[in-house]
Amino acid sequence: MTTQPKFGLSRRSFLASAGAFGAATTMMPRMALSQDGKVLTVRSYSDLQLLDPAFRLSLPEDDIIRSIFAPMIVPQSGDTWGWKPIAVESIEQLDGLTVAFKLHPEIGFTDGYGQMTAEDVKFSIERIADPANESPYAGDWAALKEVEVKDTLSGLIHLNNPFVPLWNTTLPTPASCIVSKKAVEELGGKIATDPVAQSGQYLLTEWVPKQKTVLRRNPDWKYEQGGYEEIHIIPIEDPATAELGFEAGDLDYTWTAVSSLPRLKENPPEGSVVLEKPSLAYVWLGINQDNEALQDVRIRRAIQHAIDRPTVVDAAYFGAAAVGNGIIAPGLPGSRDAVTYDYDPEKSRALLEEAGATGLSVTLDILNQSERLTAAQVIQANLADVGITCEIKQNDSGTFWTLGSKEGDYFMNLQLVLSRFSMQPDPSWATVWFTPEQVGVWNWERFDNAEYKALHDQGLQESDPAKRDEIYKKMQGLMDESGCYVFFTHEVVGAIHKDTVSPGLKPNGESLLADFKEA
Amino acid sequence: MLAYTFKRLLLAVAIVSLAMFLLFCMIYTIPGDPAAVALGPRATDEMREALRIKMGLDQPIWVQFWNFFTGAWTGDLGNEVLSDRPVLDVVLEQLPYTLALIAGGISWSVALGIPLGCWAAVSRGSVADRIVGVISVAVIAVPSFVIAIYALLIFAVTLRWLPAIGAGEPGDLSDQLVHLILPSLAVGLGWVGYIARMVRASMLEVLEASHIRTARAFGLPHRMITYRYALTIAILPTITLLGVGIGQMLSSAVFAEIVFARPGVGKLVYDAILTRNFPVVTGAVLVTTVLFVLLNLLADLLVGALDPRVRSSF
Repeated sequence: MTTQPKFGLSRRSFLASAGAFGAATTMMPRMALSQDGKVLTVRSYSDLQLLDPAFRLSLPEDDIIRSIFAPMIVPQSGDTWGWKPIAVESIEQLDGLTVAFKLHPEIGFTDGYGQMTAEDVKFSIERIADPANESPYAGDWAALKEVEVKDTLSGLIHLNNPFVPLWNTTLPTPASCIVSKKAVEELGGKIATDPVAQSGQYLLTEWVPKQKTVLRRNPDWKYEQGGYEEIHIIPIEDPATAELGFEAGDLDYTWTAVSSLPRLKENPPEGSVVLEKPSLAYVWLGINQDNEALQDVRIRRAIQHAIDRPTVVDAAYFGAAAVGNGIIAPGLPGSRDAVTYDYDPEKSRALLEEAGATGLSVTLDILNQSERLTAAQVIQANLADVGITCEIKQNDSGTFWTLGSKEGDYFMNLQLVLSRFSMQPDPSWATVWFTPEQVGVWNWERFDNAEYKALHDQGLQESDPAKRDEIYKKMQGLMDESGCYVFFTHEVVGAIHKDTVSPGLKPNGESLLADFKEA
Repeated sequence: MLAYTFKRLLLAVAIVSLAMFLLFCMIYTIPGDPAAVALGPRATDEMREALRIKMGLDQPIWVQFWNFFTGAWTGDLGNEVLSDRPVLDVVLEQLPYTLALIAGGISWSVALGIPLGCWAAVSRGSVADRIVGVISVAVIAVPSFVIAIYALLIFAVTLRWLPAIGAGEPGDLSDQLVHLILPSLAVGLGWVGYIARMVRASMLEVLEASHIRTARAFGLPHRMITYRYALTIAILPTITLLGVGIGQMLSSAVFAEIVFARPGVGKLVYDAILTRNFPVVTGAVLVTTVLFVLLNLLADLLVGALDPRVRSSF
């Protein structure tokens, strides 16, 4: 009989040790990667689907497109809205109808497509404006007459009529990104997910669908450099997952859920900075004036008076968001300090009785998100207080966004709907969705007011900020009077980043990838 | 064995055809306009109509089904709505991630479930047996997404031993394995309980069999009797169970892919449903259905090859 030595290496212990060693060594690269300051890892809420400036689909794509196809100008990061040139050496408005530009001389396209020229600018802008191309962004260049090429690098943008949003919501967006005429024509007129002829501060070097997109500094870019050697963009739809990813050290920057802001502000993860930025988005309760039960304006006004807006906002956003008073956020022309209706349940009951609508039952359609449900439940309680029974109907995004469409079969049955639209930094971007042309498209309240439409058209051409302010305030007053709207909030944007990162953000918290720098 | 295989193949074809029909019916009863969702708020009526025509939504429903059915049998699952990429390519580039996740889940469930089941069986009635019983029921009862979130909080956020999100660097096997540990644990842990219970029950039955008593009478070592003679027979029902379990793991994979922000077919289908990207939904579900049927077929054939009683029953 033999005995095993007490401290000998058995087959089992050898395998166990080898396994443990193997596991430990596989974890080492992760620690090394997180210490590498040249790579910025950020979250986007969706994966890229199209890289064409004329057909882009989402905000994360905007950020990538702006980085790889040099735009004429981009929004400036900071707390006030502004812009800075990227592809242009100079750009100025000569008069109400003409903009002159001159490109930087040393911008080239990759893949052998040569120097960026004024001809490429003409092609890039006119292909968006041309109705035949069916770009969803044709409206950005709705006032365009033509782009005139003066020489290799210079040209003039001619407008049919003054268009004030040009400098706020057209030029600083990917609508001014310059693509190679030759390359796009060779592709058949549309860029899909293969980024041919890139020209920006970064190059898209790798895309692993649903996993990550890698941008690398463009070695041939001669002007303002991006802050990081590489930017890794990870698509994570769920904000809670992204927050955990950040806390685990896998991300350097992410948006957070508004509901997480109080927790993160109170107890931020070590080495991190929590940001809270005012959003431009607007959230409101829409009331369909063409629905049989809601045609009487007194009933709609009764609903306006029945709802305690501060309580709805506090409950839904955990106290992180302020109450909003319209569709135009503070800081923009037309932003209001108050609405024209107050919380007055007595008045609401009186209006309902006057309209003979006691015992009214309504439905409230919402998107199936937690803050919307909370808001809807408070609205439901408020309405119950004045004698209105409210049934909440939750919808997934695919169903929700077609509820009020005239092409569907539900738009006349739609009664109350809790909606949220995102926004660009020009008031016309908010008012455009409530014009008579939009009835049954995005105007689900079916608010149909000729004066509103005339004011909207006037606002697009009025360059005096004081007069614009007056126009857009008056438009929101008309919305109040219709009884079709109860305005809640502009929300807030929450973000968190490592303290080693200095994020490049627009005033509303949207990211500008090329402006991220090491702190 | 040939006749058995042929019958099983015929059944598999029928199941896939039925699944395609049910899938098609379900998808086209979902409310919402795919063109409006895909193109967003700034699209015009004309653009939405053009996309509907491109997607074939202007055709009668039976024409749409026939096109889908005939296309699917020839491997043509159509093109992705916006990028125009072939759906088969889109699905196949996500499939390896899901297969890796399921393989990882099976590895956890087999590596932990079989030893636990054996241990419980050979220690029948002991404290160890009872502990294994309690653990088995506990892991079966806890939903996989709960396991996923707790695993993530403990090992990724608090201890920072393992990554929280992603699938690892493409081409870096060790990084991909590290990224697989937590998601596969979340997917497979519930099955540890099922397999432990199944192996314990089978082992108890086999350990009472006459050939095992004979082996004991011959004085063969206990370890040899347990692992060579009893376990090889007791493990057969586990193979069938795993065949069914793969389907369950596919649904758990959706949660794991969302919670751990991993690419994969589950996440692909989830995103495609939200955006009403019907060609991707149909293509991805069809591919996973075929995969599930094939793996079940494989499990049945394997059991048939190992157990003559199963073969003779067909």
